[in-house]
Amino acid sequence: MTNQTKLFDPKVLRKTVLEMAYAGSTVHIGCAFSIIEILAVLYRQYLRYPENEPLNAARDYLVLSKGHGVMAQYACMRELGWLPEEAFTQYFADGSDLKGLSDSRIPGLEVTSGSLGHGFSVGVGLALGAKLRGTDQKTYAIVGDGELNEGPIWEGALFSAHHQLKNFMTIVDENGFQAMGPTDEILNLGSIEEKFASFGFETITVDGHDELAIDEGVSKLWASKSNAPKALIAKTIKGKGVSFMEGDNIWHYTRLSEDSYQQALQEVRDEKK
Amino acid sequence: MRDAFSNTLVALAKADPNVLLLTGDHGYALFDAFRRECPKQYINAGIAEQNMVGMAAGLARAGFRPFVYGLAAFIPVRVIEQIKLDVAHDHLPVIFIGDGAGFVYSHLGTSHQSTEDIACTRAIPNLAIYSPADRFEVSASMKAAYESRNPSYIRLGKSDRGDAHESELTTLSGSLLSIREAGDAKVAIIATGSMVKTALNLVDEGFIQASVWSAPTIKPIELEQVVKICKSNDAIITMEEHSVLGGLGSLIAEIASEFAPLKILRIGVKDRFSHHCGTYEYLLKEHELDTDSVKAQIHRFIQAD
Repeated sequence: MTNQTKLFDPKVLRKTVLEMAYAGSTVHIGCAFSIIEILAVLYRQYLRYPENEPLNAARDYLVLSKGHGVMAQYACMRELGWLPEEAFTQYFADGSDLKGLSDSRIPGLEVTSGSLGHGFSVGVGLALGAKLRGTDQKTYAIVGDGELNEGPIWEGALFSAHHQLKNFMTIVDENGFQAMGPTDEILNLGSIEEKFASFGFETITVDGHDELAIDEGVSKLWASKSNAPKALIAKTIKGKGVSFMEGDNIWHYTRLSEDSYQQALQEVRDEKK
Repeated sequence: MRDAFSNTLVALAKADPNVLLLTGDHGYALFDAFRRECPKQYINAGIAEQNMVGMAAGLARAGFRPFVYGLAAFIPVRVIEQIKLDVAHDHLPVIFIGDGAGFVYSHLGTSHQSTEDIACTRAIPNLAIYSPADRFEVSASMKAAYESRNPSYIRLGKSDRGDAHESELTTLSGSLLSIREAGDAKVAIIATGSMVKTALNLVDEGFIQASVWSAPTIKPIELEQVVKICKSNDAIITMEEHSVLGGLGSLIAEIASEFAPLKILRIGVKDRFSHHCGTYEYLLKEHELDTDSVKAQIHRFIQAD
């Protein structure tokens, strides 16, 4: 899937998220916007889905442990043609399938998230499975920085380092916020990179909205000769791409009005690359 | 029972390389044979049960057949949300083994005792629940869980109470297994796990005339069979080393009240924690689950009729 630079254009992905959020009158827009570039790079350049099948047994695994950002993943799945158009225009309609949080019964979503700290461990299991089978499948687990409050993440970190799961990469969406405010005011995480490094991960910190930097970081981590699991710390901005959402945690909860929707669409369209 | 567990697990693992055993750093001697015979299928996940269950879900998604072992106080109770979300929600074929259920760890106190595990798991959709009484039911439960590919919880209680059945069970057909016929008596005792042996002893020593049924399968329950038993008796006594809230007694009472109401005595843990420690027999007595206390409860139940 390399060289298809037009696919997974962050502008298009953000537009899809806004359309969904407006159609469904839903929240968590900020959580989706912080991982747009991360997902764009992974889907465009790294994730292998043979035959374009979301459940192909030889696929790479993308686990969105921070299920609150799932609209960004739906937007990518739209580019792959995995979801019908009505799923977007009728988001949150009675009887519809796409939920406000990741539901693994949707092919392409590997975990049922929303309760935090689950997906990381599921990802460790997927990576362990690939190692046991001796395949070259890779597993990515995207976690939020707020989600790092959850204990099972650190259980899984110990396990993946002890078992040298070099095929496992966690990507931390470090947007600095969790539900009730800034992460450093709620449970201060200190240096996330140092924490993962101390658990035995190979780590790199990048600008999580710079696609080239993300690509370079991911590729450098995979190129490493070490058997350690990898952690890419992506410094991001919650609500990235719309000026009045950026860094304002209210967009964890706020729904779009007609005015704010139009204004956001405008900004996403005009955004300079 | 523990030999049956180990032997069955080894046999399943040798026949299917996708079978994996994950343990939360428990089962010290229990897994000697497994580690010897199937070392590559053995994973000690450390004292990290939540991660272990999430990993089992990931392994099952990748085509493996994980058995997840822990003490019943931890597997399933500590990880109930991981079982619900990561495993049962996606109908993944993960088999949970909760060992030492009830008051097996009689000296260790509440942290290691488990009398709410059936209640916690029963309300989770897709999840099958087994509560075997002897070595034959252990093997049959494990095979049934493996072959069904359902997410399953197998509850292992006191393991040295002897056999309830005379020989190996080829299948677990029907939810309830008949162990003693009643003759003319219109009383049925339905028991599960360790209490099956207690029920048998009461009948065999002539304390009560009743049919005895063992319930190795708590869920899915065969509704028609339970209704039939309710309709052909005047009273039912349920017995379990588990809370009377949400376990076997609740299950039978729910069905009876809807389809065939009759008097039911639910013998089990009466919504209380252990206060003291002591031998297993002492703990049973504290909870009125020893033979004398059970007799007294049945006596009162029948007198009140």
